[in-house]
Amino acid sequence: MTIASFITKNALRNKRRALLCVLSVAVSLFLLVTLQVALREVTLPPEDVGAALRVVVRNKISISSPLPARQRAVIERIPGVEAVSPFSFFGGKYRNEESMSFAQFAMDPKLLRKIFGEAKMPENQYAAFEADQTACILGKVTADKYRLKVGDRVPLTSTLYPCSIELKIAGIYEGTIDDRNLLFHHKYLDEAGGSPGWVAMWWVKVRSVEEMPRVTEAINRAFASSSAEVRAETERAFQLSFVAMWGNIKIMVHSICTVVVFTLVLVTASTMSMAIRERFRELAVLKALGYRRRELFAFILAESFGLAALGAIIGIGTAWTLFTHASIAKLTQGIFLTFEVTPRIIGQAALVAASLGIIASLAPSIAVARMSVVEGLKTLD
Amino acid sequence: MALPLRYNLRNVIVRWRATIATILGVALVVAVYILVQSLAVGLEKSSRNTGDSRNVMIVRKGSTAESSSQITREQFQLLQYWPQIARDGRGQPIVSADVVVMVTLPRRESTAEAHVLIRGITPAGMKLRPQVSLVAGRWFVPGRREVVVSQRLAARIANFDVGAQFKTGSHTLTVVGWLDGARSAFDSEVWMDANEARSIYHRDNYSSILARVVNETAGAALASRIESDKRLPLRALPEVQYYSAQTMTAMPIRILGNFLATAMSIGAVFAAMNTLYASVGARTREIGTLRVLGYRRRSILSSFLVEGALLALVGGILGCILSLPMHGYSTGTISFESFSEVIFEFSLTPWLMAKGLIFAVAVGLVGSLLPALRAARLPPIVALNSV
Amino acid sequence: MSAPPVVVIQETSKIYQQGEINVIALDRVSLTIRGGEFLSLMGPSGSGKSTLLHIVAGVDRPTSGECCVRGIDLKRLNESELADWRNQNVGFVFQAFNLIPVLTAYENVELPLLLTRLRGKARRTQVNTALELVGLADRRNHLPRQLSGGQEQRVAIARALVTDPPLMVADEPTGNLDSQSAHDVLTILQALSRSAGKTVILVTHDPKAAAFGTRTVHLEKGQLLN
Repeated sequence: MTIASFITKNALRNKRRALLCVLSVAVSLFLLVTLQVALREVTLPPEDVGAALRVVVRNKISISSPLPARQRAVIERIPGVEAVSPFSFFGGKYRNEESMSFAQFAMDPKLLRKIFGEAKMPENQYAAFEADQTACILGKVTADKYRLKVGDRVPLTSTLYPCSIELKIAGIYEGTIDDRNLLFHHKYLDEAGGSPGWVAMWWVKVRSVEEMPRVTEAINRAFASSSAEVRAETERAFQLSFVAMWGNIKIMVHSICTVVVFTLVLVTASTMSMAIRERFRELAVLKALGYRRRELFAFILAESFGLAALGAIIGIGTAWTLFTHASIAKLTQGIFLTFEVTPRIIGQAALVAASLGIIASLAPSIAVARMSVVEGLKTLD
Repeated sequence: MALPLRYNLRNVIVRWRATIATILGVALVVAVYILVQSLAVGLEKSSRNTGDSRNVMIVRKGSTAESSSQITREQFQLLQYWPQIARDGRGQPIVSADVVVMVTLPRRESTAEAHVLIRGITPAGMKLRPQVSLVAGRWFVPGRREVVVSQRLAARIANFDVGAQFKTGSHTLTVVGWLDGARSAFDSEVWMDANEARSIYHRDNYSSILARVVNETAGAALASRIESDKRLPLRALPEVQYYSAQTMTAMPIRILGNFLATAMSIGAVFAAMNTLYASVGARTREIGTLRVLGYRRRSILSSFLVEGALLALVGGILGCILSLPMHGYSTGTISFESFSEVIFEFSLTPWLMAKGLIFAVAVGLVGSLLPALRAARLPPIVALNSV
Repeated sequence: MSAPPVVVIQETSKIYQQGEINVIALDRVSLTIRGGEFLSLMGPSGSGKSTLLHIVAGVDRPTSGECCVRGIDLKRLNESELADWRNQNVGFVFQAFNLIPVLTAYENVELPLLLTRLRGKARRTQVNTALELVGLADRRNHLPRQLSGGQEQRVAIARALVTDPPLMVADEPTGNLDSQSAHDVLTILQALSRSAGKTVILVTHDPKAAAFGTRTVHLEKGQLLN
């Protein structure tokens, strides 16, 4: 019998206990990884591929104040600007739904590929979308959710504009960072009674990354003392400013995560020290046989560490496998899209598991150090 | 026949370390559950606290928030003098057409920004909202670019001190006072003169109309008259009802709370299970002895279930106590209706605590079920075998 | 004139499965014990004396054969009925005392009474009587660990007789005791059979202890020796 097999045998002596231990570590770490991944996705939205070359222009007052349509020509004339498209949030409710379940934007279909380039869609669907003013294209996630296909009609009632519209699906796209949205003709919005002459935002494609700061600056300056002052910023900055709107909720979720981890560490550590305390009699026997304290500590640590490591492998492994291979967009009905388990998050969880192994072995180690052989032999399990 | 409780109690004390860990575990689970749910309750409360039962709110059909509602001047003229709307001493209708604009402003404590609602309001509008009071400075003077901001909002937004100035678009506004909304939705607003607001934000239209109606029947009549008038694509409903429906933001918080509670309770169940399994293991001979003395399986089973439930109940009570200091603590997040900053507070109701306790007991029962079954299945003969 | 039989065992066998081999603990044993008898059951370890005791006391069931106690065939009782029956008919004394460590002497003795309809004063009287009978009335509020081994066993006897059962069974009650304490315990058991008319079955391997009985039966390899 080797030391290792002795430790293994000891750890598995009470199989139920060992199983509960490993499972609770696994559940805790699974939860930890899930929360971290969700928080990361909410606070650090995934960056779109062409984002580095896109500038978002909105009214300086706030996003809900519109911009006059005449600004488009002014922006287009700025050197370095490749294309400008209106981009208005429609805020429509689908059929008789209580609330908005996916976003719809009115824009210029001719510039779809130039500005928002990375959507995968058959060529004929692109053409069909451009040709028909009442047409729209829909992301695959939403299309799957409502079992919609090309040719179907999508009735929408706006919560922002005093109108209802019905759009025909000309294409279903995928392969963008957010395959949930619906895009349709801005012209149609104007005609349907949106607010002709006004748009919510301008999305601008810039020719090169080097020209970005200059173009942004130029757009801001162009309307500096007009009745509609604008704020132009990179798509990323625009995204992140939205995240900041979450306010205290973010901090609260963070502190809740901390409490969650603490609770689970506490519970698991107590379970593990209990498992080890059960083993007092053997430890006393070992002491009687001439083992030194140091070696007993090593026994305890190895067992506690082994249980934590096994739990970590199961918990983190399950999370990683699930989030990497299952379609999270489908599972969460499009609330979360990528749900990426980053190496950093795995590292964090592993670190928690390692500290758990150490913390759990502390109490029994101290008790063993104090224990006399006779006393230990008397301990009943 | 049940075993006496002090039997459980003393056993619990003997295994105090595991017991404390279990109790603390359950306590934290319950505290997290209660706190997250109390946020949702607080949000709903702030909506429910808003509104006067004598008032009727009129908004554009289909709009979900005042800031996205539009009412034209013609529409306002049309209904302003309807007989269902109450009149003041001088025969003027008590009605206010407000304009609500969302503006982006920097936060106080960081470089981040927040959306804040500015309400352009008339004197009648202020009379219609008597729960709002001035707590510092003075009210704005019509025709001047002055605002009165909510005191709670001032704690979170930069340049909201009385006397300070802030920029919105190309205009500069001066804060002349602080208001208190008595824990209503108005705690999340900035008030200024209606005409001034329409001029600086280029609004031809109003956002909403608030009217005092003669009585409840008149309110219903007003609603049905608007509904049937083809010229008015509007919707009228009691102000109280309008605000109490604005609770969409509470939903994801509730879901988060339930998710956390479920996931954490699995851990807590494991803890309770372990503690009780250890308890059963250590008491094997005792249990056998009790069986020899004539105690039935059922008694042993219920004794362990009661022990688990009580342990968890103590944890639940501790969890309530732990979360209690957060009661009334004010906080804010983005509203899913108006997309603007909404201020609300943790609100721990007795019902919420009761739910927390029920939840704790459930965790205790589930956690103790398997160990209790194991204990009950022990044959009396173990009393004699295991030494 | 002899008293009516209290325990009637007929052709009773008990076979344990131990791995792949069958161990015969009791081999077609027949035995009759009369009311008021103090029967000493002797034999070496593994002779089946404890198994026989367990079967009579209703904590174990025979593989075959019959065991009637006071006219009731224990085979016919289900698990809960058997539990009730034990509570009303058998007082059990263990070698290792088996007192509940977290309960006081008084509470330990009271334990079987919680299953009966007895309430309040009657219950107190009965517990106190039992404790007085074993001479421990002054120790009623002590926890088991505050008592000596002999005192613990006397508390256990008090617990066994507090329900006033007609049958008392004791499995090596003196095994963990010094000779003076052992003598005290056996004297109490003897008194119970003599003056209270209880049927007592004592399992022991100590001839001195067995001598307290009115009759001694020897068991070896699961069979009675005559």
